[in-house]
Amino acid sequence: MMPFLTVVLRHTLRNMRFTWKSQVMTLFTVGLSVLIFSFFYLIYCNALNLSEDLSDDLRLIVYLDDEPAEALKAEYEHKILKFDQVERIDFVSRGQAYQRFEKQLGADSDVLAGVPEDFLPPSIEVYPVRSLDSLSRIKRFSDYLLTLPGVLKVQYGKEWIERFYSFIQLMRVVILLSGFLLIMTTTFMVAHTIRLTLFARQEELELLRLVGATASYIRMPFLVEGALQGLLGASLGLAALFVLFQWIRLQFAGPAALTQAQFTFFSWPVVCGIVTIATLLCAIGSFSTTRKITQL
Amino acid sequence: MSQEVTVPDVMIDLIKVSKVYPPDVQALTDISLTVARGEMMFLTGMSGAGKSTLLRLVSRIERADKGMVEVAGFDVAKLPQRDIHLLRRKIGMAYQDFKLLPDRTVADNIALALEVVYQPRPFIEERIRELLDRLDLARKYATPAEELSRGEQQRVSIARALANSPEIILADEPSGNLDAITTGKVMDLFHQHHRQGATIVIATHDRSLYQEGGHRVIELRFGRLYRPRTEVPETAESIEPPEPVPAEEV
Repeated sequence: MMPFLTVVLRHTLRNMRFTWKSQVMTLFTVGLSVLIFSFFYLIYCNALNLSEDLSDDLRLIVYLDDEPAEALKAEYEHKILKFDQVERIDFVSRGQAYQRFEKQLGADSDVLAGVPEDFLPPSIEVYPVRSLDSLSRIKRFSDYLLTLPGVLKVQYGKEWIERFYSFIQLMRVVILLSGFLLIMTTTFMVAHTIRLTLFARQEELELLRLVGATASYIRMPFLVEGALQGLLGASLGLAALFVLFQWIRLQFAGPAALTQAQFTFFSWPVVCGIVTIATLLCAIGSFSTTRKITQL
Repeated sequence: MSQEVTVPDVMIDLIKVSKVYPPDVQALTDISLTVARGEMMFLTGMSGAGKSTLLRLVSRIERADKGMVEVAGFDVAKLPQRDIHLLRRKIGMAYQDFKLLPDRTVADNIALALEVVYQPRPFIEERIRELLDRLDLARKYATPAEELSRGEQQRVSIARALANSPEIILADEPSGNLDAITTGKVMDLFHQHHRQGATIVIATHDRSLYQEGGHRVIELRFGRLYRPRTEVPETAESIEPPEPVPAEEV
């Protein structure tokens, strides 16, 4: 096993030395692709985190025309909680609503003097599960709530949620596109570089077959070369992203809006995942090119 | 339970083998030839007689259009491409066009054959030095192949063919670019490997190689096998294509 690995590594380094210009170009391209993909993915991840933070306060308030009887409460509860996206519901009576309002007014609560304590409508507070999926369905869900008997109005941060959801949708498309770019560049660029090396060393590869080299003996250095390009390219891309991330954090350290939100870099498992995927993609690119070697 | 491995007595067996190069160049016609294990044999004939083609069929660089080629127990036609190394590792071939990598050193060129079978580095170095010493090339160890004369390149090609001490050695015109003394040294190496049990087929039109050895000499003419001769034609004009020898007689 050791001699095999030694020979494979020696051949890999020799291949890379012979075509170092293409190697540098490939590294740059793979690194740039990983940078572009992971940049958008980082924005997406942070947006998701942000949505979780913001949705802590997210709830739908279902205003009712009258205080529901116990049977109707049970019916509301049954009809609303049957949805997986609902975490919990709270009934707020006219009296509770009045007390909350009074509490919110604080020192100004005397403005309520003379106002009947049942002037506010009873309501149901619906707390959706904190996930992007629930955000996306909130409009349809509010439409459904409106169809329930005795419901006057459903209120939630409609505009904000719709804008945020559109942004997340856009990010998803961008990530898909940049992911596609990543796949194309890694596999095709690496395949192209390996093809150049194969072409440059055609004579040697034929000779190796003539003196009894196995196909894997010839192929393995190219696979290692592809995987190395993926590994190094992805590492470079992520390192560049980290530098960019730190720079942005420093530049926007002041604004309150940004400091309130917790922007974080990828966790180690995500970093390892991106590097592994890029490495595998490059190895696949190399593998597809070197299939011809067995025909020598 | 141990399985008994049978070692074939016949190392190379060609049965009614024909080869045509496109569009219609008949390189070999109905060749039947048997080479025993440990035999040293010379294949003679004019340029274009089919000697190189025959060697290329044996090492499966080419495939026969008709007939059967069996080498070291392998039916060459049926050997899958992925297993071709099993056959090639049994064969050491010195090519007429040398097949050296011009930008690699002499040592690197010879090392190729040893590296593919994962020989340890110290053994590779020792074997290369031994072969170069025997072939008067010791000083050229680190010289790029492109800087060698044709005679030197030929010897490097022979050294690479012998490096692994293969069971079968095929040499295509091994003395084509060598002087008499160097040819003698090359033949000494071949004889040494022959004594050690290698089966050797040498394609040559140099009579001095086989005149006194007492080894079997087979002549090819226009792609057909003829009876072993004591007289070798002097000129191309004197050759007329006569009746071929029946397969079972060779």
